[in-house]
Amino acid sequence: EKFEEYLSIKSLRDGRVTSSFSFTTLLRDAIPRDPRTLAFDDDTSQHYTLFPLSLGQILRQYAITEMHLTLNAGKWNYDTWGYPDEPDVGVGAELRAWMAGDSISSIDERWQGVRNALAGLFCASLGSLDEQRTTSPRLSFPPEGALPDWGLPHELRHASHASEHVCTENLTPFLKLLPCKSLSGLATLLNPHRIFDADWHGIGLHVLWRPEGVEVRLNVQLVFDPLRISAQGKQDWSFHSLFDRKVEKACPVASSTRVSVELPNSGVYRVYPEPQEIRDGKAYYNLKNNNEAWNIGTMWPTDFEYRICHAALSSPDPALVPFSVTRNLLGPTQDRGQLSIVLTNNQQDTLQLLYLETMPWIVQFYLHTIRVHSDNVPRDDLISNISYVLPVPHARPATFESVLTLPGRSTLTFSMDVAKAFLRYTEHPPDAQRGWDLPPAIFTPLNQSLNGSMSLGSRVYTPSLLVDLATPDFSMPYNVIIFTCSVMAFIFGSVFNVLTRKFIVVRVRPDPPRNQSVSRTEKRLEDTDSDTSNELNTSKSGVH
Amino acid sequence: MRLLSLSLFLLFYFLLSSCDASSQHTNNWAVLVCSSRYWFNYRHMANALGMYRTVKRLGIPDSNIILMLADDAACNSRNKFAGSVYANPGRHLDLYGENIEVDYRGYEVTVENFLRLLTGRLSSSVPRSKRLLTDSSSNIFIYLTGHGGNEFLKFQDNEEVSAHDIADAFHQMYEGGRYNEIFFMVDTCQANSMYSKFYSPGILATGSSVVGENSYSHENDYDIGVAVIDSYTHYVLEYMEKVNKTSRLTMADLFTSYDVPKIGSHPGVRSDLFERPLGPGNPNHPMSEYGRGRGWTVEGGGEWMGREIEAGKNGRVLREALITDFFGGVVDVDVNNEDDAELRLFEDPECISTPKAPLSPLTDTYSSPPSSRSSSSLLNMLDTYPFLRPFLAFILLGALFVLVFSGMTSGRS
Repeated sequence: EKFEEYLSIKSLRDGRVTSSFSFTTLLRDAIPRDPRTLAFDDDTSQHYTLFPLSLGQILRQYAITEMHLTLNAGKWNYDTWGYPDEPDVGVGAELRAWMAGDSISSIDERWQGVRNALAGLFCASLGSLDEQRTTSPRLSFPPEGALPDWGLPHELRHASHASEHVCTENLTPFLKLLPCKSLSGLATLLNPHRIFDADWHGIGLHVLWRPEGVEVRLNVQLVFDPLRISAQGKQDWSFHSLFDRKVEKACPVASSTRVSVELPNSGVYRVYPEPQEIRDGKAYYNLKNNNEAWNIGTMWPTDFEYRICHAALSSPDPALVPFSVTRNLLGPTQDRGQLSIVLTNNQQDTLQLLYLETMPWIVQFYLHTIRVHSDNVPRDDLISNISYVLPVPHARPATFESVLTLPGRSTLTFSMDVAKAFLRYTEHPPDAQRGWDLPPAIFTPLNQSLNGSMSLGSRVYTPSLLVDLATPDFSMPYNVIIFTCSVMAFIFGSVFNVLTRKFIVVRVRPDPPRNQSVSRTEKRLEDTDSDTSNELNTSKSGVH
Repeated sequence: MRLLSLSLFLLFYFLLSSCDASSQHTNNWAVLVCSSRYWFNYRHMANALGMYRTVKRLGIPDSNIILMLADDAACNSRNKFAGSVYANPGRHLDLYGENIEVDYRGYEVTVENFLRLLTGRLSSSVPRSKRLLTDSSSNIFIYLTGHGGNEFLKFQDNEEVSAHDIADAFHQMYEGGRYNEIFFMVDTCQANSMYSKFYSPGILATGSSVVGENSYSHENDYDIGVAVIDSYTHYVLEYMEKVNKTSRLTMADLFTSYDVPKIGSHPGVRSDLFERPLGPGNPNHPMSEYGRGRGWTVEGGGEWMGREIEAGKNGRVLREALITDFFGGVVDVDVNNEDDAELRLFEDPECISTPKAPLSPLTDTYSSPPSSRSSSSLLNMLDTYPFLRPFLAFILLGALFVLVFSGMTSGRS
């Protein structure tokens, strides 16, 4: 087994610093488990020294060939930050797995099993990635490693939960998967109080099979803002200023612990300590045990220069990515809206993009209302190869894949009418007025190579959307009960009074003369019959 | 012969008494639940995390703690101090730390999940860290905090769990042999009502305020912007700071540390279902006088249910309930007490495994279990055949109308 650590740090254009940790464990000559052996409970015994045991057990139990799990928070700004080192930067939790199997039910059962097992392992609510969030996109997620040839078809399951929070309880088990935990090596820099303060942070787990063996890659990507953190407002960064930690000693079982710092293109700066090797615009350090702790950093003598985006600027900054994308949900009502995507091609050549939308069933598409405009000219020929899996309400999300062609230096607008669902009373989350987070759309450039074959470039994720669905008045059951009870009481009271109250007409005789005492007793006898109507008669005495 | 029979008789007596004294627990579990969501309920999450830290410090490992937080306070975008939760205004101690495992988070904290966790009725896909894997020799510390009222506790501002539900869940646990003893602590408004419906043996309960009384928060932090801890939990945690893994402080020491003017509400204790004595407690505290004193209103049952039988519990044969019985891991086996050691030699193995029968004269007084023998079979039938209720109501209403009408018609004649 081999364990390697690698950290790559880059200063970005807007003064931020991105760092990408990568911890790779390779289990040599190991093969993922054949799912046909799952019927027999006992598995060939697995011995690991550096490979994480808890993860290995999960992989063997559900016969997973390839798996990617990411827990991210924040919005990755492609226009100013460029491409990330690890492409999966979709917000929230995203899990996808390649599994082999001969029947769909066995794959779905194992998918549910692996979701819940990872939910327990990472303290994340991945159990909610059920069939209402699971899709199988055909083209957008090719396997990163190799798929063993067992004669069984491999299937992809992909699910995402954009409103998942990431916090220290997700980082704790992540660090426990490393052989040196967070005690030595580069993992000592992972300080949760700084990581979760970063402008963008994400932790990821990638398991794939290479011909050499099974590889597990744990990565942490962070985007810090030294201009905000530092007291002087300077762009300088160092391990101590970013992570509040230094690397005291290297992990003894790591075969290599390397740090690479990308040297900025322009300006005067100093990278310290002296790099051991400079190659391709990057400074490389090999962290071996030193007398003092490693505190790598870069400093600038002058303050940071904020770039002014002026159209008259002679040389605008070259775009870091070939295209920019924004996605919006338009419309003021709570029953329908419009999904709008605006893509800008920053380069001269025509660009072909694979556009994937895995929309939960709460937002339903009307495909016949797709309108594609290029620079405000309707161009329906720019969308092709539409593949659509219908959403099933309460059961399955929609999977929409299509190929969009962007002519050079143009802006493409894609819009489609959508209908918003009216949920059942019990389907609303406890904070229903917040709305529902929709998972990001994924754009993959299709590169046509010289011999005509297509290959996929690096994925781009849009931010998630928040859709506001109609919420009922949750206090209505109480109101209904109170109202109904009042009406029932009113009806019952009235009917009861009508049935039991007796109205009697009482004839009041004129007052007898004083010497006739007998008639007074007679009057008293008559009055006792109609006791209740006495009050009625007192008002009539005047009339009489 | 007489001597032999006498010694045998004594042996039998000790055997029987050792049955009760052999309620020794072998492992400790903790279930800490914060049931309210939203940023302004930061203090409830701080309550639960404070208990988490105390329980971990005293020795219960993460694998034996189920922590349920209904919202994310540490990494909330409103939190100025990312990744940290503080329980005091000066922000001296970060409760979140770097090594924390939250088993149920966010939307997973529901009444259904809580009751399923307690009773163990979970589907097979639920991972091990989300299960309460207790056995009949586990002591469980259950702590609930949030917003509540008379016999209910609100979960996520959306649904409620009632005291009857929890009492029934505990009884299911008792019948399934899922606990040895439970210490139930609840910090909400009118918290004492939450434990008033328990009827299973082996439960010691305490709450923060009587029926009709609110529990108050303790202090605000002006940088975080919200109240950071509740008053009752603050004083309990402050007391627990004196406790370490080997301390011999008893539960009565904890209960007699309650200072009603400081806490701001009247905490309560329920010990009638708990066989072991609580200990002498602080002799200066009015509670140790079993009744009178400052702050503890004791007329009409008061806030200590089971006070009367406390004096009758045998402190020599039954061990006193220590704080570390619930809050700590089982670290030292006490062999200093020679009586216990002697009794252990003659333990009847059957005695340990059978669940203890409920001590009937005690439980009948306070709340009786719903058994099929008691009350009427009519109520039973109503439960089994749900259509009977509206049917009977219809019949009764019709009979009433018939009577009224006949009465009217006869009255006219």
